[in-house]
Amino acid sequence: MKIVLPDKKIIIQKREPAIIKDILEGLWINPSSVIVAKNGDIVPEDVIAEDKDEIKIIFFAHGG
Amino acid sequence: MNNPNICSICGKPAAVRLSNPDRRLCAEHFIKDAEKRVFEAIDAGKMIREGDRVLVGLSGGKDSTALILILSEYVKTRPGVKLIAVTIDEGIAEYREDTIKAAERLVEYTGVEHGIISFTELFGDTLDRLVADRKNLACSICGVLRRRSLTEAARRFSADSIATGHNLDDEAQSVLMNMLRGDKPSLIQDSSLGYTGYFVPRIKPLAVLSEKEIVTYILLKDFYSPLPECPYAVTALRMEARKIIGTLEEKYPGTKLNIVKFRDGIREHVPYSPKGKLNTCKICGELTSGEICQVCRVLNRKQ
Repeated sequence: MKIVLPDKKIIIQKREPAIIKDILEGLWINPSSVIVAKNGDIVPEDVIAEDKDEIKIIFFAHGG
Repeated sequence: MNNPNICSICGKPAAVRLSNPDRRLCAEHFIKDAEKRVFEAIDAGKMIREGDRVLVGLSGGKDSTALILILSEYVKTRPGVKLIAVTIDEGIAEYREDTIKAAERLVEYTGVEHGIISFTELFGDTLDRLVADRKNLACSICGVLRRRSLTEAARRFSADSIATGHNLDDEAQSVLMNMLRGDKPSLIQDSSLGYTGYFVPRIKPLAVLSEKEIVTYILLKDFYSPLPECPYAVTALRMEARKIIGTLEEKYPGTKLNIVKFRDGIREHVPYSPKGKLNTCKICGELTSGEICQVCRVLNRKQ
């Protein structure tokens, strides 16, 4: 799985299918402070991501 | 995931899951849903009347981006309403330049009339220079000067109201912050609204949308661009309030809305009436509750 972090760093890891919310929490990211795109499409965090997927995490919790 | 991730309306893949009521929506139906909620809030709160000239505070950041896009949709069904966007250029190096470009792109897209007012023009200098020896006070000084700038813009453009991009998170955080400070007057009366009846009314059409919904909306409309953080942003208590409410919202969806509803309930039962009468500032002549207005005080203007 390819995970693109808010600071553009990329993590590549082999993993079993998992709920995105759990993936975020495993990275110490609060799901309420980010939006997630799976393979380019925005999805709710209770969607499952598989090893072949790319997850992009967009952090937004700052100024208006 | 208990249910398949499909839009509750059309069955396409869902982009968001919302609560109250629990539903999943695709990009197209989420955009419509968010706009509908804002339109309903505007109408229920009688924020905009037929024939109004509405000044839109357009910083170019995420909230005001959503605000101008949604209000542009709103006025399509109310041709008598006129929007005027105004960007306040505080004079913050390596920050405001990018957001002004974003604002210009938005007014080009929406076709809304646009004006830029700078602190240099109104107050004689940039924020950077005005706070050079008191950077710890930059946020509060900027807030005072921005409010005056919007008032001046409303005057120049003969606006009937000023729309700002405050969202549900901002409002819920302010409630908690007021409680933590023991600040009952601010809980009862929104200080950003000023004295009702004396100043141009402020409206907050986006206060029904969470920050996450707003960013999702502009991402789906392809207007999201990460912009630099204001170098003076040091709101420690707000960050704490954000964390606490964010955690609670995750566990108990609807928390933010309930906090704001609770505040609104209090406001209905405890009507606000300002103490004392308003005077004109002895230095600049603007309305003030004391003898010298806040703007003249933060600028250290002398009589």
